[in-house]
Amino acid sequence: MSKRYVMVHDENKCIGCQACNVACRSENGTPEGVTRLQVRVEGPFGQAPNLHFKYHRVSCQQCEDAPCVKVCPTGAAYVGEDGIVTIKEDKCVGCMYCVAACPYKVRFVNPETKATDKCNFCKDTRLARGELPACVTVCPTNALTFGDANEPDSEVAKLLNTKPSYQDKIHLGTKPRIYRIPTKRGGIES
Amino acid sequence: MNNTWGDMAQYDPVTWNWVIAVYLFMAGLSAGSVLIGIGMRWYSKDTLTESPILKAAAIIGPVAISLGLACLVFDLTKPFHFWVILVNYNFQSVMALGVLALLVYTPLGIAYGLIVLRDELPKWGLGFLSPVAQMLIGWRKAIEVLLFILAIGVGAYTGFLISAMNAYPMLNTAILPALFLVSGLSAGAAANSVVALLMFKVDNHDRELSRMHALELPVMATEIMFLFMLFCALYFKGGAAAVALASLTTGMWAGVFWIGVVGIGFGVPLLSMLMPAATRHTKGAMLMVACSGLTGVLALRHFILYAGQSYIY
Repeated sequence: MSKRYVMVHDENKCIGCQACNVACRSENGTPEGVTRLQVRVEGPFGQAPNLHFKYHRVSCQQCEDAPCVKVCPTGAAYVGEDGIVTIKEDKCVGCMYCVAACPYKVRFVNPETKATDKCNFCKDTRLARGELPACVTVCPTNALTFGDANEPDSEVAKLLNTKPSYQDKIHLGTKPRIYRIPTKRGGIES
Repeated sequence: MNNTWGDMAQYDPVTWNWVIAVYLFMAGLSAGSVLIGIGMRWYSKDTLTESPILKAAAIIGPVAISLGLACLVFDLTKPFHFWVILVNYNFQSVMALGVLALLVYTPLGIAYGLIVLRDELPKWGLGFLSPVAQMLIGWRKAIEVLLFILAIGVGAYTGFLISAMNAYPMLNTAILPALFLVSGLSAGAAANSVVALLMFKVDNHDRELSRMHALELPVMATEIMFLFMLFCALYFKGGAAAVALASLTTGMWAGVFWIGVVGIGFGVPLLSMLMPAATRHTKGAMLMVACSGLTGVLALRHFILYAGQSYIY
């Protein structure tokens, strides 16, 4: 069966520490001023004293129907055999069509290569070595789970089967592969 | 940078800037000018003389598209790799299809220009091109028909290019290619009359020129109707699409729309029709009206591009 790599971000477990953000930057050598991944701490929401924050992971959603791939004139943005959306740097001329077309606004021009860049689940580095993406490994609260959702026994498949989750902007038909487990309010029960 | 998660500059939804707006304008202008020039030649059934309007179109067509393409290339982050886009094609991409169309349209426009301006070339010190024009003249009909069809494609293409992005509710509409094609026609008509009046010294009461002016009102009415349809579609779609209508009332782009597009682009030409015929048909008045029309179309491209990108789903 074909692979369907997905990532699950549990917003209950996330503490917004940005360890993933830093690990990503170091693993992928992301230049200063641009970023593949950030966790935005949004809020506070609600009425005091019942306030809560939302931890919003902002990174490539690895859409199954990716607008960036559709608009790219040269085929520099492409879907690999593993289903992961990546960029062939030498085919990119920097027309910015993909940057504009991305509904999640997670693509950027890498100031060093002048090509567009974004999260690719560490496809060429850690994934190629059989390791998990840098953000998943470094997360101190295990808020991130990564794996093949087509594999029924995988951790991600079990998680998606047992916990309610949502994806961003599904009404656009992009079929994002970043799933989010929403914050359960009311504190932690002992 | 003052949040824990870092710099947010790259997340600005406005990705394409004024250089692209100028390109959209130039492509529309080139296509509109060519469509009107060739269309009027066919309508007049006069195949013996080259009318000043056709000569104007023969200059504007290739020059505007070349300037537009120069904008496009220098806006790339790797301008010297632009050839990569000419050898790799993703046929799902509107831009790739546009590249193909422009790859044929631009040289064909130049060829057609040489044919139409063959008697002019020696006067401009371009006599060395006359043999090329003579060589091409046998192909005139084929070039003309193909160029006309491609001009429709290029005019609509700029609209398809930005309407293909479903991230932006104001851009992702079916009316945009039609709106751009029609506003390209009004820019083309305006530019044709400027060049015909200034370069080819056409008479103010020239029959062709009056015929082209008669086109302007219906074209403008269609443009206004398409804009109205665009805003209605956004309003009734609701949600983020309806929120995008705020661009008509707030911010800099509201000013560009009401002053540039409506006031200068539609208002000045419409009000000029109230002037007495003698004043209206002076060269100065005609040039002023044409320049207002061009300004309006340029403002429209800026408004649609910037306001369109400012609101995201």
